[in-house]
Amino acid sequence: MDSPLTKGVKNDNMEHLAPKIEVGGIEFDLAAIMMVVISSLIVFILARLAVRNLSVENPGKLQNFLEWVVEFVQGIIGQSMDMKKGRPYLALGLTLILYIFVSNMLGLPFSIITEAHNGHIPSVFGHQLIVPEDTEHLAWAWWKSPTADAAMTMALALIVIVLSHVQGIRLNAKHYFKHYTSNPNIVFLPIHLIEIVSKPLTLGLRLFGNIFAGEVMIGVILGMGWVGIPAMLVWQGFSIFVGAIQSFVFTMLTMVYISQSIVHEEDH
Amino acid sequence: MDLNTYGYIAGGIVFGLGALGAGIGNGLIFSKTVEGISRQPELRGTLTATAFIGVGLVEAMPIISLVLAFMWAK
Repeated sequence: MDSPLTKGVKNDNMEHLAPKIEVGGIEFDLAAIMMVVISSLIVFILARLAVRNLSVENPGKLQNFLEWVVEFVQGIIGQSMDMKKGRPYLALGLTLILYIFVSNMLGLPFSIITEAHNGHIPSVFGHQLIVPEDTEHLAWAWWKSPTADAAMTMALALIVIVLSHVQGIRLNAKHYFKHYTSNPNIVFLPIHLIEIVSKPLTLGLRLFGNIFAGEVMIGVILGMGWVGIPAMLVWQGFSIFVGAIQSFVFTMLTMVYISQSIVHEEDH
Repeated sequence: MDLNTYGYIAGGIVFGLGALGAGIGNGLIFSKTVEGISRQPELRGTLTATAFIGVGLVEAMPIISLVLAFMWAK
């Protein structure tokens, strides 16, 4: 594609399309898939670099940073459950917080946009990109936060929630099922059932909504032109803050949900 | 009025009410945080961190309603 790599280009009339292809009746968002891979690679390389020259006497900067992150996650787990029970989830929490934080940051600095030439719609892997009807501005945004894609965050949320239920049944079966029927009594069963659905929904949509709204807002500010530069500075700073808070909240809620299903309080 | 107009109205209402609720919620969180800090100033760090977690939780609803508003208003 011979279109230029545009940095913070002014958006003419409308938002850019997501580069989607249809394979076997299912729509795949190529940008989201690409960004998932890229952020996974970044986290992997970061973690590998940090543990390359491990040393007790003379730790490197990256090692110090990663040790701080590990202790931070230990703190999160320690707040919600006994560390003896929470130890197995340290790796999960570390993965989640690093991955979500890196994902949230990725979409902020710039974007890659390709435009269609003379109405010619490009194909990827032999599948033409999907174009909605009545679209005249053919431009695709290839660079975004993977967490600005609902499918991606819902998948993360689903992983976490399924894990919490499975661990609840494996480690705490008696009290796990008793929790539904006698907390405080059987009348509240529908509320518990609603909770099963609402937990992954809010967990995933909270992350998606925050990051997606942030990126839409960046698009709106870009549309304002030169006037928007101060607003852009403020909003970028706020987005970094929101990205950090959301990765932290996601990890913390993961640990809270897991502890809710595996820890049995003695008082009921 | 055509369907698009209704979409704009619905988006405006849903985001307005979401922002209203979140505003009240955030106000409650921070008023209680300030109260707690004035009672026990040495807990400032912990209380502020907890308050920001609370804000992260509260912000979910207006943000979700903002996404809904963007979906409807176009």
